[in-house]
Amino acid sequence: MSTSRIRDSLRTDLQQRDFDKRSLLFVPIALLVFGGFVFPFLILIRISLAGQPSGAPYEEGSLTLESFVHVVTSDLIQYIIGFSILYAVTTTLLALVVATFYAYAAWRTSGVTKYVLLFSSILPLLTTLAVKTYAWAPLLAPNGNVNDLLLLFSVIGEPVQFAPGLVGAVVGQVYNMVPFGILAIYSVLMSIEESKIEAARDLGASRIRSFYEVVLPEIIPGIAVASIIFVTWSVGAYAAPQLLGGGAERSYAVQIESYMLAELQWAFAGALSVLMLLTGAIGVLIALWVLNQSEGGVRIAGQ
Amino acid sequence: MLTVFMLLPIAVVIGTSFNESGSLVFPPEGISFAWYVEFFADARWLRSFENSLIVATGTMVISTLIGLTAALGIEFRQNRVAKSIVGLGAVPLFIPPIVLGVSLLFYLSFFGLQQTYVGLIIAHSLWATPIVFFVMQSVFSRFDWSLWDAGLDLGASPRRSFRYVMLPSIKTGIVVSALLAFIVSLQEFVMALFISGRGTRTLPVFAWLEMRTNLSPMVSVASTIFVFITIAAIGIAVSASSLNRLADYL
Repeated sequence: MSTSRIRDSLRTDLQQRDFDKRSLLFVPIALLVFGGFVFPFLILIRISLAGQPSGAPYEEGSLTLESFVHVVTSDLIQYIIGFSILYAVTTTLLALVVATFYAYAAWRTSGVTKYVLLFSSILPLLTTLAVKTYAWAPLLAPNGNVNDLLLLFSVIGEPVQFAPGLVGAVVGQVYNMVPFGILAIYSVLMSIEESKIEAARDLGASRIRSFYEVVLPEIIPGIAVASIIFVTWSVGAYAAPQLLGGGAERSYAVQIESYMLAELQWAFAGALSVLMLLTGAIGVLIALWVLNQSEGGVRIAGQ
Repeated sequence: MLTVFMLLPIAVVIGTSFNESGSLVFPPEGISFAWYVEFFADARWLRSFENSLIVATGTMVISTLIGLTAALGIEFRQNRVAKSIVGLGAVPLFIPPIVLGVSLLFYLSFFGLQQTYVGLIIAHSLWATPIVFFVMQSVFSRFDWSLWDAGLDLGASPRRSFRYVMLPSIKTGIVVSALLAFIVSLQEFVMALFISGRGTRTLPVFAWLEMRTNLSPMVSVASTIFVFITIAAIGIAVSASSLNRLADYL
């Protein structure tokens, strides 16, 4: 909606002779949204357009694209952009598969199993990110439990360092995102009648086929919501790459934190933040486009 | 198998908090409460625990009020301005917390409010308010509005109707959404990492800073306490409503 239209409708609102006092109910949220989000966000963009002197967080009063140019041309940042994109794609796809499977399992079972499945997806959701992530460290360490288990069954010959490393960073991030996806997909599943699947099975469809042709087309909206969450969060991932990744697992957010708190280069941090949001936005658009295509595909296959 | 995947890290946290030795091994070698004793003797941990409770309580009050008034407002008036403000309010949920943290740090430092509780409460309310709003919206959609009209027709003021007609049937929803807001604030740490200071560090932030230097069972102790507070909060929410409705809200 264009700002002028908003302004017009605001004006007609205010001009109404009997001004509705109930409109005042929106004052608190307007204060929070503009004072706590929109305005700070504009400042972020403003600072990303400032110069970056050495020794000060940013150059006051300057208006330049210098910081963007610096950030885009730096080898380190190019590496970070490439890594972040690969990382986001990998973790999003993995998390989607796990969340869909998990939500489907929770939906198909009943009684105690159902509650255990739902409870185990809600509990991590309500545990702090810092802690969930850190709990993976002893599990994935070279002398950790996962290695012990793999060695025991001779899957591997000698201990592998999963964390700190790429595997750790991916597992941690998938783990952090999955519960949100489960809820998004589960809530859509609840609106499907289970008898539909029974019907498909009775008509001779295999489990996999009845899932693919009956369930999947119906839960596309839930998958879309989950993808939006997964893409934006994995692009902005901080805790998992920082704590479970090695030096090579450097995400946008890890670098932004280092600009902000260690190097005190606010203009660079601002520019990189804007770049990160753009990456996330493009990622969401691509995800939605893919879903649109496949939705058509699934429908045709189902007919 | 997947349930194990989901619950394993939490089992690790709880398990290692009772560990006898100082290293982080799972399953624990011997059970002891030594680290709990140490936790409650350490002023820095207690301080951050207290900070977390202060910020979470503040967030709970602020975001419940804002989310409630907004949800009520949208029931009465559905014009474009109102819808766009409320829609904008949901955007922070989809913005990486690091961006919110960075922009709030820029912004708050203009007013000298960085490293204060106020800044932290604003930050956490950005996430908690839309959640409260969505819960309250679903509550209002179940509310029988003819009761409200009846109250007004019988001559009660809007305030009286709210107090005596509406409040009794939306009370549960308010409690549930307030608890959700509390939990959201309690567990958030990326924004808090940027805008808290030495004196206002919340527990997750302090734990994060600690665990980056050394992995000691103290972090597990803090986390275990957290997990149990959260379970208690869910317990209250569940007993206030039913589990199915809670799953609905989430």
